[in-house]
Amino acid sequence: MKRNVAIGTFLASLLVALGIGQGILERRAEALQNGGGKVQVPRFEVDPTFPKPLPNHWYQGMSIGVGVDANDHIWIVHRPDSVNPIEAAADAKTGECCAKAPPILEFDQQGTLLRHWGGSDGDGYQWPSSNHGVTIDHKGNVWVGGNGGGDGLVLKFTQDGKFLMQVGKKGVPVDSNSTEHFGQVAKIFVDKKENEAYIADGYGNKRVAVIDADTGKFKRYWGAYGNKPDDTNLGRYDPEAPPAQQFRTPVHCAEMSNDRLVYVCDRVNDRIQVFTPEGKFVKEAWVSRKTLGDGSTWDIAFSNDPQQKFIYLADGHDEKVWILDRQSLEILTSFGDGGKMPGQFYAVHSIATDSKGNIYTTETYDGRRLQRFLYKGMQTVTKGEDQGTVWPRTATK
Amino acid sequence: MKRSLVCSTLLLIAAGTAFVAGQRAQTPKLDVDPLWPKPFPVAKHWILGSITGVAVDAQDRVWVVHRGVDSLQNNEKGPTLEPWASSCCYAAPQVLAFDAAGALVANWDPKSGSGYDWPRDVSGVAVDGTGNVWIGSGLAPSAMPAGRGRGAPAEGAAGRGRGGAAAPAGPADAQVLKFDKNGKFLLAIGKPGQTDSSGQSNLSRPLAVAIDDAANEVYIGDEGHNRVAVFDAASGAFKRDFKANGDPFKTVSCVKLSKDGMVYVCDRQNDRIQVFQKDGKFVKEAFVSKSTAGDGSVWDVAFSPDQRLLYVADGHDKKVWILDRTSLETIGSFGQGGRYPGEFYGVGSVAVDSKGNVYTGETYEGKRVQKFVRR
Repeated sequence: MKRNVAIGTFLASLLVALGIGQGILERRAEALQNGGGKVQVPRFEVDPTFPKPLPNHWYQGMSIGVGVDANDHIWIVHRPDSVNPIEAAADAKTGECCAKAPPILEFDQQGTLLRHWGGSDGDGYQWPSSNHGVTIDHKGNVWVGGNGGGDGLVLKFTQDGKFLMQVGKKGVPVDSNSTEHFGQVAKIFVDKKENEAYIADGYGNKRVAVIDADTGKFKRYWGAYGNKPDDTNLGRYDPEAPPAQQFRTPVHCAEMSNDRLVYVCDRVNDRIQVFTPEGKFVKEAWVSRKTLGDGSTWDIAFSNDPQQKFIYLADGHDEKVWILDRQSLEILTSFGDGGKMPGQFYAVHSIATDSKGNIYTTETYDGRRLQRFLYKGMQTVTKGEDQGTVWPRTATK
Repeated sequence: MKRSLVCSTLLLIAAGTAFVAGQRAQTPKLDVDPLWPKPFPVAKHWILGSITGVAVDAQDRVWVVHRGVDSLQNNEKGPTLEPWASSCCYAAPQVLAFDAAGALVANWDPKSGSGYDWPRDVSGVAVDGTGNVWIGSGLAPSAMPAGRGRGAPAEGAAGRGRGGAAAPAGPADAQVLKFDKNGKFLLAIGKPGQTDSSGQSNLSRPLAVAIDDAANEVYIGDEGHNRVAVFDAASGAFKRDFKANGDPFKTVSCVKLSKDGMVYVCDRQNDRIQVFQKDGKFVKEAFVSKSTAGDGSVWDVAFSPDQRLLYVADGHDKKVWILDRTSLETIGSFGQGGRYPGEFYGVGSVAVDSKGNVYTGETYEGKRVQKFVRR
């Protein structure tokens, strides 16, 4: 059961108390935004005590996926093989610390490690050569993709790690028009209403693919602007060039909102494209459009109010989380900065929210952390304000 | 291991102290302060590189040196790339000082100075009794691949964004530099490229520095020559040197002076500490985590204010060992491997303030300074 105690309750109680229509409230909010350059946004503080240290001298590698289940447990996926010989000195038998942790890790709200599994082939399935993205669907099942060379598959497990389904296989070439396999999948979203899985496909392919979440049957797919995907190499991203008519790899997220729009992270193109579930293009927006290299639009999560008024966007190159107005796709503010302290980021890669409105992030490369940002109600900021490192206010006085 | 909120104004987390109280002297209780030091001003987008030296001065200010932009990965230095690639970040000035509350109280970027040769790789910092700041140089030998960040080896797609830049051209680090507390250059001992061991005053990778204020002498861990060399702290004239007792030093990564006039030398990849008199006469030795291979266990040492304890930074085992200074017995440790507060990756520097608080610096991709509050 999701309890939307955050913005939803706040708005609802306001409406009841003031006896005004929602339209009026929204128009007031817009006026506030346009006049004076002030905007109302959710406020967050990093929780430096989360999660607890891993047991068994386990060491966490590049952390390339985070999801939250119906019990508000936090699931991450990381790359054990990214842990170098000094970090994994116990495995290398050169020291007592540390050993590689299993790739799938589940934490409770206190940050205690619960279940942990994955990392190798099993009966009837292949483990990706580089696991990537973790999603817990409405039935409680766990989906994992993979972005290693030739990883053309997605996997579905129970929360205990019991294998349920493999779609696609390993050792396949890039083919954005395949209806049998994928091309290095970044992330999966499962639509409860139609029981369909949306595959951000991926590091090799340049498309969103939709499959039946139980049978794995391919249903449809599309590229940027809803075009038929094309695997032609687009070369390097050029902010000055006309917008690319295809996604640039990686297609790094495909998330559906409550009002059934599919938001796609076209990471290296620095943009979000929005589609109907059938793949009809609706709109797009750029975030930090001049960002080169790995790009700016790594992953998104929606605020947990029923309207999903805000998009939280992880930008692993500018090292921050952008907060966007979901309807207008305008940037309202951002928080975070580069660094290794709590609330700072190095290569913030994945993002998710829980039922309380808290944000979870994971960092890849040499970030290698799961962080929690506690929702602290709404605040007024100057539109576009860079909030920097958001520490607990009691600590910064 | 537990972590809990302890205090209302400061968030303190109990460090993972593996030590169970036994019959020996009690080890101190230390809690990591996850919110020390304070973030740099957001508009500057400063970021720390690999930390290679931490020292506490007479006013309990914590001096830090780091390897700067050369130790940053591409995604950490986006605005310095050509073309501009992202808004994060610029290397913070390579010499920084924080107060006990974590506020930045001094910083200077010695790369911009003149009259001296700033090292390719800064290593080691010490502050003398008058507040002058001494800085060593050189990259310690490591089992790690020779990337500038000394981070994980680049691997396939995972290598994106890492961008270990090639080492800057230039003569080998062989100098120790002395500045006043505002960054005004005072003295250089050794010259880049002049590493020939036939010259007594030549240095090679002088990774560590310690000052004897009373004698006005500076002790230099001359790693490349497997010795400790002593110079006049005012003139820079060579005075004497000494080598290991028994097996030669493998990696002289620290030299520290105790109040009772002993010289403690870290022999990192031999997992040992050797103790000498100031004239170089061997006194005793001890091994720490003797089975540790790779980069070794004894990276840096610091004394408790009462000089009863010795803290040993162990960058390979990712913890700080606590030794009884008299017996050199290992009596406890804190920390474990990881990137969370109170955990370590490449912890290679340790220092203690007058209240017994412990400060650590992490090299490689650790890139943090942490404070452990004495309870």
